[in-house]
Amino acid sequence: MALLDDATYKSQKRAVILATVWLTVITIVEVLIAVWYMNKYGDGEGPRILLNGFFVLASLLKAYFIVGEFMHVKYEKRALMITILGPTIFLLWFVIAFLWEGTAWLNMREVWGLVGM
Amino acid sequence: MASEETLELNKKDWGGGKSPFNVSYGKLMMWYFLLSDAFTFSALLISYGTLRMSNPAWADPNKVFNAFPLYSGELPLGFVSVMTFILILSSVFVVLAVIEGHRDNKAGVAKWMFAGIIGGIMFLGCQAWEWNHLIEGASHGHGMSINHIDFGPGTENYPLSFAHLFFLITGFHGFHVFSGIVFNIWAFVKTVDGTFERRKNNYEMIEKVGLYWHFVDLVWVFVFLAFYLL
Repeated sequence: MALLDDATYKSQKRAVILATVWLTVITIVEVLIAVWYMNKYGDGEGPRILLNGFFVLASLLKAYFIVGEFMHVKYEKRALMITILGPTIFLLWFVIAFLWEGTAWLNMREVWGLVGM
Repeated sequence: MASEETLELNKKDWGGGKSPFNVSYGKLMMWYFLLSDAFTFSALLISYGTLRMSNPAWADPNKVFNAFPLYSGELPLGFVSVMTFILILSSVFVVLAVIEGHRDNKAGVAKWMFAGIIGGIMFLGCQAWEWNHLIEGASHGHGMSINHIDFGPGTENYPLSFAHLFFLITGFHGFHVFSGIVFNIWAFVKTVDGTFERRKNNYEMIEKVGLYWHFVDLVWVFVFLAFYLL
């Protein structure tokens, strides 16, 4: 099999280091924001919708770097990308449906006075 | 006209005699296994979300995860950041091993695989410390086990399901890390004794165990999100 030439080798290494820097920076920013928010509003208090939205987006960005760069999907054939990433679309429904369900359980418990049981 | 061209292209890819995805059978099957494993982990994390939504109160991560080895003060999320960084670095080392493999550089593959294994063992060590600290503290008002959760005043309403899900999910992830380390050690030995070199396929086995190893890192991103950030 053909070996990697020097130029490709260098550019691949640079891409990996760049992805590492991104992953590290995103994680540090996430933790700093979590701690800053805690100091501002106290433990678990304050409006969290924007904060949580940021955490989810930042995690998806991290997933993009891990799957795309480290797992090499960015450089695979389109058909392979689709066969791997396509089925994960079901998770979107999975998350929405079950968070909805959990909220409904809490609602039922409150209605029937079962909270704390 | 255009459709005929597409048909011709499809025939080229899917006409048989070669992999339409341009990867080997083993690598494709590793991908499908990881896809199924992704659904298993998603099911676990989504049950965490469901139970959390259905409880009027939930544990606050800043209060639960604020200990640091050899430091008696509180450092919210400090230790887990270190763990995350260790796992990311370990993943990077294995990527570098794959790249060296594409250059048939046996010494380079062995070096980076070794670094990756050390990173994995360090991560497991950190997790062992965290579990031990939490379980030990359960009876002293700053910890949890599977039948007791107590983080001092103001935490009486923390549900036990939090402890159950924490030990189940981080334990399942930790077991994946453990088996990843076993695969990595096996690949390291086979690299050093020259088995992969003789196969003359650019160290493809390193790519396969590497995929599994990165997947473990990927899952940790979402475990970190669910337990420590949200």
